[in-house]
Amino acid sequence: MAAKEVLLYPNPILKELCTQITHWDDGVRLLLQDLVDTMVAAGHSVGVAAPQIGDTRRAAVVDVSHSKLGQKQENHGLLQMVNPKIIEREGQTVVREGCMSVPDYTGNVTRAERIVVQFQDQDQQLQVLKADGFEAIAIQHEFDHLDGYLFLDRISSLKSDLFRRK
Amino acid sequence: MSHFALTIIGRDRPGIVSEVTGILYQLGCNIADSSCSILGGQFSMILIISHPQLDDQKSLNAAFAPLEQHGLSVFLRTLKPGGEEHPDLQGEICMISVYGADKPGIVYRVARELGQKQINITDLNTKLIGGKDTPVYVMMIEAILNPGVEVEDVEEWMAGLKDEMKVDISVRSITPMEL
Repeated sequence: MAAKEVLLYPNPILKELCTQITHWDDGVRLLLQDLVDTMVAAGHSVGVAAPQIGDTRRAAVVDVSHSKLGQKQENHGLLQMVNPKIIEREGQTVVREGCMSVPDYTGNVTRAERIVVQFQDQDQQLQVLKADGFEAIAIQHEFDHLDGYLFLDRISSLKSDLFRRK
Repeated sequence: MSHFALTIIGRDRPGIVSEVTGILYQLGCNIADSSCSILGGQFSMILIISHPQLDDQKSLNAAFAPLEQHGLSVFLRTLKPGGEEHPDLQGEICMISVYGADKPGIVYRVARELGQKQINITDLNTKLIGGKDTPVYVMMIEAILNPGVEVEDVEEWMAGLKDEMKVDISVRSITPMEL
């Protein structure tokens, strides 16, 4: 259990398709704990996905409750998600996203406004919940990592959607 | 390693970037940071360059002389140590859009307001749009707000100017969602 180093692009692990977790052992619990520890250690982060710490299993954590934007809305607090899937999407919104794995740039990304997500929690229980606002965006961003997508894969134009951090 | 700020400007035509970067390549210079664009009919290049050995501006200036003969103005400045390093700017980022019938002082009045409040402007673009008879001035300012300053505060500061200058001003947060 420890905060891990966050991998930066072009590390190839960030572009891998992560694999379903079928065998539950202590390793899964350890992975979730590492993800939570890494997210907390990186003070400004509201989520981390397994490939960002070099693990290609389908697991991610999100917690928007400590962030300024998250506190403006109802949220689910800490979510530890294994084998997650978005089963419904509604609405569209464009947001400017930054990612710990692509530190020098931010980008305008189109995301669903509201989602219904299904996953197994840290106790292997199946959960289905609705998320909207900042929480929904954070979840979509982290799940993208599990499919090897970065926000760079979601922008439409280098000229109008990609911004170098000042 | 010495770093230099290189500014080049001249009437736009194909081949300017190629000529400039060709010289930099021959010299063995690195382009550490750059921004190039057309302003009016002029192509303008601003580059932060470095060289592993050369720390003497004179030899660089000599290499750029052919550019002057081709109608480009070249200005080179040696940076003080550390001048090439990017500052770590923290705080909410906001975009201020200002537009309205063209009149003197739009840029100055908005910038003065922000300067007096110690707000750091990190990007500024202006454009004259609209027809010849009804020119419209548009300005986009990106600024970093100091701790404790909210977007609503900037809106409030701009409200007076809006009436006085008869321009439209909107302020919005563009702080990225850190994920």
